[in-house]
Amino acid sequence: MDKEHKGVDSLLLSDLVEVWETNSLTLRTIEHLTMFSIAIVLASIIGIFLGLFLYSRPKIAHPTLNLLNLVETIPDIPLLVLLLPIFGLGSGPTIVASVLYSLLPITRNTYTGLKEVDLKYVDIARAMGLSEKDILFKVRIPLSLPMIVGGLRIALVFTMGVVTLGGLIAAGGLGAALIAGIQLYKINTILVAGLWTGLLAVIFDGLAGIVEKRLQRRYGIW
Amino acid sequence: MASKRLFDRIDSIQLRGVTKKYDDRFAINDVSIDIEGGELVIFIGPSGSGKTTTLRMINRLIEPDSGTILINDQNIMELEPVALRRNIGYVIQSIGLFPHMTIAENIGLVAKLEGWNEKKIKDRVEYLLDFVSLPSDMFMDRYPHQLSGGQQQRVGLARALVMDPPLLLMDEPFGALDPILRKQLQEEFYQIREKLGKTIIFVTHDIEEAFKLGDRIAIMDDAKLVQIGTAEELIFHPANEMVASIVDTSKKFKHLDTLKIKDLISPLECMYVHDGSLDIESAISSMIGKNIEIAVVSNGSFPLGIVKLIDLLRMDDKESKIIDHVVKIPSFSRNKLLSSSLKIMQKDGHSMAFVMTDGKLSGFLFPNDAFSQVIG
Ligand SMILES: Nc1ncnc2c1ncn2[C@@H]1O[C@H](COP(=O)(O)OP(=O)(O)OP(=O)(O)O)[C@@H](O)[C@H]1O
Ligand SMILES: [Mg+2]
Repeated sequence: MDKEHKGVDSLLLSDLVEVWETNSLTLRTIEHLTMFSIAIVLASIIGIFLGLFLYSRPKIAHPTLNLLNLVETIPDIPLLVLLLPIFGLGSGPTIVASVLYSLLPITRNTYTGLKEVDLKYVDIARAMGLSEKDILFKVRIPLSLPMIVGGLRIALVFTMGVVTLGGLIAAGGLGAALIAGIQLYKINTILVAGLWTGLLAVIFDGLAGIVEKRLQRRYGIW
Repeated sequence: MASKRLFDRIDSIQLRGVTKKYDDRFAINDVSIDIEGGELVIFIGPSGSGKTTTLRMINRLIEPDSGTILINDQNIMELEPVALRRNIGYVIQSIGLFPHMTIAENIGLVAKLEGWNEKKIKDRVEYLLDFVSLPSDMFMDRYPHQLSGGQQQRVGLARALVMDPPLLLMDEPFGALDPILRKQLQEEFYQIREKLGKTIIFVTHDIEEAFKLGDRIAIMDDAKLVQIGTAEELIFHPANEMVASIVDTSKKFKHLDTLKIKDLISPLECMYVHDGSLDIESAISSMIGKNIEIAVVSNGSFPLGIVKLIDLLRMDDKESKIIDHVVKIPSFSRNKLLSSSLKIMQKDGHSMAFVMTDGKLSGFLFPNDAFSQVIG
């Protein structure tokens, strides 16, 4: 009984190692996470600044958010194809597509977070003698953080998906391994690459979730 | 950046024909008042009569449509609003402690913006927490949601005092607290007021609070200042019916002779009762958990007296039992006459008493509370 178990275990493990190595999954993971991080950092910087900008120009806020919403409704494969003539093949269009998708949740949550800060805090801050700039940086932005992180969390999930699809247009990453598996009909490759991609998505979402909960807890929003 | 200290002390505050309209309705209509330095002036009047609007004009949160406001003969419209506000403390009913900052950060925020160094800010925060009876080592690093309502209101006051402003504006600061806590904070505020030595403008709905705390009382009605004067002036020479009905307590006291304690009892909730064998440490955490500032100490079923949270927090020996720190208070049967009980309490300076039903504790008697229920 015991021996048999060990046999199955080591069989599985050796299969795993073999699939991992023949598909160079370590390299694929590095490629994947590189694209993922670049996309997320770019989307966060642009999204948060855009959110701040829209907050200071409320007149153009709605048209801009509507435009981002429109981008959001383009399905991912057509969007990648649309970007091909401009950015060619590879990681370029994949990152651009990820950023385009992530912009809406980050920008919208930043803008809404800033706008919907409880006015009693703004009022007391003003009464204490904070300037409008201090009110923005010491009160409005910190109080919107849970909301901004919430937007970032949605962006993480989008980006994980788009970066995986990048495999279709020669961006490398785990998507490339998945597609290779599908084309060669290698169930093991599909399973390992697929589960690993899914696991990564769950881990990042979980981490962002922890940060979000912590912020909410610290702020006393249960 | 450090802003200018606009005034070290208040000599006078003058409102001259101040008017503010929203759409076509007056929020305040041609209000003129002279306030002297060091005075505590109370604004009282029906809801919507313009008290908050008047208060918020003094720190320029609202700007008048016409009329002028002078502080020490300086027109406040010529002062920079941010600098003006840093010279005026502001306390409101909803407190508004920033939830993302610790208590120390909340109190020290403006000092930090003024460019004080860390050490100076910390010293000031510790001093102020001590001033409002909160042990600084216990409270500095907590977040506002970890404090009870009464503790938050103390921090709100400490925060308003950080720049040592010569003028304090307080808008129903105790209005949201339950009656027991409100009485206690009024009492404490009354005691620290002398130490503060500040000019204070204070809005309330509670005429008892006005009588207790105010040097002068300003009565507002329908956007107008109806009358301002000392309690005696208002009682003996009311400007009109409305003032008389706010301040006239005498005719409502007619029945006082016949009232019994049971008519005015504040019922006991069992969360107040703590066993005498409890150590101070556990009593503190229980009281903070239950959001109460006074506990009844009992041995089994018999009430021995009370302990106050602020006293417990200050004790050095946190292991000792609360039974050793009990403050005795009188206890009366529920069928006793109110007037004679109040006399006994007044003579011995007690602010609360137990009410017993069939030899068992069934509630409290608060003379101040009883008073306002009789007149209200
Ligand atoms: N921002 C505003 N816009 C329109 N009307 C306002 C505004 N602020 C106050 N008012 C009106 O001005 C009047 C005076 O309001 P204010 O808040 O000064 O009353 P108050 O005496 O403080 O009342 P309360 O005892 O309920 O606090 C009210 O009729 C109120 O509805
Ligand atoms: Mg008001």
